[in-house]
Amino acid sequence: MTHLATKVLHVEHLSKQYGPGCARCAEYTGPHHHSSQCPICGTVHACVDANFTLHQGEVLGIVGESGSGKSTLLQMINLAIAPDHGHIWYHEPRDDAAQAVDLATMNAFAKRTFRNDRLGIVYQRPELGLNMRFTVGGNVAEKLLLANWRHVGNIRERIRDLMQQTELPPERIDDEPHTFSGGMLQRVQIAKALSSSPSLLLLDEVTSGLDLSVQARVLDLIRRIQWEHRMTMLLVSHDLGVIKQLARRTIVMKNGHIVESGLTDQILEDPQHPYTQLLVSSAL
Amino acid sequence: MTQTSPSQLYNFAFIDEDSKREVRRMTLKAVAIPGHQIPFASRDLPIARGWGTGGLQITMAIIQPEDTLKVIDQGDDESVNAVNLRRLLQRTAGVATTTDTDAASIVQTRHRIPEEAMRADQILVLQVPMVDPLRWVEPNLERATVMHGEADYGRMWVYMYESVVKAGDLRIASQYPVMVAGRYLMDTTPIPRWDVPKLHMAETLFLFGAGREKRIYAVPPHTSVVPLEFADYRFKVEYTPGQQCRRCGATDTFLTSHFVVQPDAPNGGHWVSSCSDSSYCTKRVLAQTVATEEIS
Repeated sequence: MTHLATKVLHVEHLSKQYGPGCARCAEYTGPHHHSSQCPICGTVHACVDANFTLHQGEVLGIVGESGSGKSTLLQMINLAIAPDHGHIWYHEPRDDAAQAVDLATMNAFAKRTFRNDRLGIVYQRPELGLNMRFTVGGNVAEKLLLANWRHVGNIRERIRDLMQQTELPPERIDDEPHTFSGGMLQRVQIAKALSSSPSLLLLDEVTSGLDLSVQARVLDLIRRIQWEHRMTMLLVSHDLGVIKQLARRTIVMKNGHIVESGLTDQILEDPQHPYTQLLVSSAL
Repeated sequence: MTQTSPSQLYNFAFIDEDSKREVRRMTLKAVAIPGHQIPFASRDLPIARGWGTGGLQITMAIIQPEDTLKVIDQGDDESVNAVNLRRLLQRTAGVATTTDTDAASIVQTRHRIPEEAMRADQILVLQVPMVDPLRWVEPNLERATVMHGEADYGRMWVYMYESVVKAGDLRIASQYPVMVAGRYLMDTTPIPRWDVPKLHMAETLFLFGAGREKRIYAVPPHTSVVPLEFADYRFKVEYTPGQQCRRCGATDTFLTSHFVVQPDAPNGGHWVSSCSDSSYCTKRVLAQTVATEEIS
């Protein structure tokens, strides 16, 4: 008997543009024109008609060059940017009977609650995900406090546990982030993201800017967490090596459009779209 | 030479009627949404911003000729600021003034809530130096406004957590953050922690005015005002065992201390404590004197 994987996220016709748009936009933008900006009205089509599905425990990679729209797509799913069109259907993996919810239509309060309870995000730049004026413990505690944890002893116990899980020395719980190295800061971000046991972990270029040995340790950690928690992850990277190590399926973006999607091995071994072929050959 | 009356020199309560109407409208809005900061067009007054212009504008907007006014600063009726503000209102509104909390219909205050429990027919107007409790964690006003709108107080809780981690306890001496009606985070102004519980489910209307920051907020009667605290680190009011007022002997009031110089003493003097609310202290002393006289 075949078991169907539970759907967690279903993105439907998701689009985001910056500018008013005009009747000729579709004609002059996109991968064929190598530009996401309309030469007539100046509108930037950051993400156009994105469609994909993410299943429980799956790691989906989004790859593309700078300006291809992958981070815009990730930020729309992180509910930090409101899409102009489309739906982000979320299926609660912890409750089979629950109806799918369209995250795009939630009000600001519901979005904030959802982001805190169900989403975790790790940014390329730690200062985007961490408050550098708070201690490491304080940063990890934020999501717990938002989830109404009101016992300092219990909060600190949970932080120490998360620090151990993410290979951080728990005795440095009260140190300030600027005393940590780049790789450690990424692990602090991961500990913070995991603190609310999210249903979906978003990773935005997590290993960019780290040296190779540190990069390998962070990737090992992410892989271990994914394996232990059966965590559903959406991984954005311009590095095909990272995508290859973590993602089972991959979508390739160029100029705001998804140009190819499929199993990561298939995309890397047998790329179909000329842009994907270029990406793969550049990596090799 | 003809004598000019105050009413001929100034509009009643100094500011013009349209401005008073605007302040009253914003005050009503603040009462309707407890703890929410309402922007208002703060007027120029003959005192500097930061010296109580916010509270003063509220008092000027709500005061009526039949009102009795009390003005205190740090609990004291006779401090320079309190006397100046009282004189200004007396001169421009011609209202009766008092130092007795019980006899006042409006009490304007800075840094204290009177010790005597206030009634439903009284209004307490507080002068506010800094409005937003989120300024400690979010200096950008626009982002802080969004945080209030979404009740996004996680960072404020981290600030409380950090206070415990760094100091071993909730070491916030004044301006203690509170949740009003379970919705808005509010700054209690520089009142000591001692006064914070007086805001909870009180009979009185509390109006907060910040002239420099141009904001009004309010705690209407019977509104829940809960200080931020943890299950293992509770909110506590100031209390030093054995400390009592040197005048009235009170141990159940907020006390201030000062050093009495005694050249002959080994330490050059000694510390004494006295009630911060001077009129309440005087009333207690008088009551004790009367009681002693009656007994003798």
